[in-house]
Amino acid sequence: MQQNTDERPWDRRRAREAFEQFAKVRAQGSRLANEYEQLRSDLVVAHLNLVRYLALKFVNRGEPLDDLIQVGTIGLLKAIDRFELERGVEFTTYATPTIVGEIKRYFRDKGWAVKVPRRLQELNLAVNRAVEKLSVEFGRSPSVAELAERLKASEEEILEAQEFGQAYNLLSLDTELSGDGDKTSQTLADHIGANDSELELFEDKANLDHAFKFLNGRERVILYLRFYESVSQTEIAKRLHVSQMHVSRLQQKALEKLRIVLKE
Amino acid sequence: MTQAVEPHDLADVVELSIPGKAEWVAVARLAISAVASRLKFSIEDIEDVRLAVAEACTDAIQRASGDAQIDISCRSDERALHVRIRRQGTMIKNESPESEDSVGNLGIFLVRALMDEVEYSVHPERGTDLAMVKYVEV
Repeated sequence: MQQNTDERPWDRRRAREAFEQFAKVRAQGSRLANEYEQLRSDLVVAHLNLVRYLALKFVNRGEPLDDLIQVGTIGLLKAIDRFELERGVEFTTYATPTIVGEIKRYFRDKGWAVKVPRRLQELNLAVNRAVEKLSVEFGRSPSVAELAERLKASEEEILEAQEFGQAYNLLSLDTELSGDGDKTSQTLADHIGANDSELELFEDKANLDHAFKFLNGRERVILYLRFYESVSQTEIAKRLHVSQMHVSRLQQKALEKLRIVLKE
Repeated sequence: MTQAVEPHDLADVVELSIPGKAEWVAVARLAISAVASRLKFSIEDIEDVRLAVAEACTDAIQRASGDAQIDISCRSDERALHVRIRRQGTMIKNESPESEDSVGNLGIFLVRALMDEVEYSVHPERGTDLAMVKYVEV
């Protein structure tokens, strides 16, 4: 295996020579497999700075730099394998879109377009919290610069988080809401609507009113006294001059009628 | 300028002029994300446009000398965002635009990788002129 002992800096000329050599070796196929691998890895190492430079441009989008460098390096490998000197463009010119494309694809595959940068989400919450805290501390609204200092973020990030953080957020139900002025921290779940039992009662009452129309006078009186006035069956029996057994039977019958009507 | 880079006549126009200094690039970034978010771009596209504008401004600052402002003009309709970034001034380095791969030019390569269409020129006396388009995906 031929060791590459070339110590010259990786300038344009050296890159071109390396690619010429690489193309020759590649053309030889498997016979020079070792040399091919060596050259390829030299080319990768020589251009890692380009990958890093490009990855850094995407680092504020919520993915770790190392991951971006890793996928960017895949792009670099593809670019190295596809690059043709005869086209007359510099390798960096050729490789940049490939590397950027790979990084962007990584974001797309992560479903990032709907997920939104975590950094923004978190910053948005942090900004809201810090606004409250600093307002109390200072007795006035904090400036953007003060918020940035407190949160160790840039002023641009603060503005951005305020502007866009909410618009694209997927929120957890346990997200604490920084209330407008009220100090109790409530979660989003606290604000989710439940069935309103009062409203259901109202609806039930309307239905019941309707069902009552199907009862005769005596049945209505019995149910009214029994359930609205909590009068005992014995008392009702006395008032209606019938036996308690009879009241019981009438009540059963009336309730049965109501059930039938309400079921419909 | 190719035909495709020309924006729609009825496009909405937002113009911004910032000092040709690195510390003002953030203002351009913020403004462009606000403009881009009015279109139906995904947040990823917005980030791309923002990065492209930042790179374009940085390039304009590095390439042209003097105190000239950077003029940023955005035209948008429902289909696309057109951004033109210009800076008057004499070129600092006497090199042809996009000549070879000096690190200074990587920014423009990046812009090309991020936007759908890019027209870029550097004139020895008239400074830099970059027009770029991002289409709204349908």
